[in-house]
Amino acid sequence: MGRQVGHRFPTREFTVDPVRVEEYVLALGVEPEPGYRAEPGAVVPPGFFMYVTTYGAEPVHDALDFDMLRTVYGGTEIEYRHPVRVGDRVLVTPEISAVTEKDGKSGRLTFVELTTEYTREDGTVVLVERSNTVQRS
Amino acid sequence: MALQIGDELPEIVTPPVDRLRIAYMTVAMRDPNLVHVEDAYAAKSGLPSAIAHGTFVTSYAGAAVSRAVGVDAVRRIRVDVTAPVFPGDVLRTHAVVTASEPAPEGRLLTVDLTVTNQDGVRVGRGTAAVEQPAA
Repeated sequence: MGRQVGHRFPTREFTVDPVRVEEYVLALGVEPEPGYRAEPGAVVPPGFFMYVTTYGAEPVHDALDFDMLRTVYGGTEIEYRHPVRVGDRVLVTPEISAVTEKDGKSGRLTFVELTTEYTREDGTVVLVERSNTVQRS
Repeated sequence: MALQIGDELPEIVTPPVDRLRIAYMTVAMRDPNLVHVEDAYAAKSGLPSAIAHGTFVTSYAGAAVSRAVGVDAVRRIRVDVTAPVFPGDVLRTHAVVTASEPAPEGRLLTVDLTVTNQDGVRVGRGTAAVEQPAA
């Protein structure tokens, strides 16, 4: 069980491959800027950075013991401290930053906040993503 | 575009979030969650069909902001997903500037964000902070 607050996952590397950003924009069907092209050097669109995309869902959801049938994504907050561009290589480190339990109408609800730090090789934090997930009992 | 408190950013009306878009998002995100792909799996969660990724909601809210001010001007965005999005839903964004404060190189604006579906159901809400250079 890695559900303890403060648990940090091992850092993984993520390279912002233009194909991944292109697929993301294709899925949306709305360009992040008129005429946007996912070419090396372009700033990555605001909603792209999700730990599922950049780190992988399995290690995180396994450690959290998530049953996806009882789990709902609640939302995300992203701070952009420095621009991340297509082609950049970043280090991705998720951490369980908060776990809150509440008794709801349909039983116990567990709110999990996962804070994922994106850093450059020199340690500069370029982006912080906080994603919230709710699991029913 | 010099934005001020009370200004509304141009609305985005999305294309239908159909199953093909959901499939592309599954691939783009490498998301293994079958709730976005298989109706029978989604039914086990009590859902009438597969649902779209919450990332559509956060991303369309983000796109409303980035299309207005530029991708590189977005400093922070927070979007809570408040209702599921189903295949075929068409979403609309509403974004309005609600605060403006001095920043090192211009102003930092707060934008309130709401995303609704074709039935007027709110599927997401949040705020963004964007930097606007001095005129």
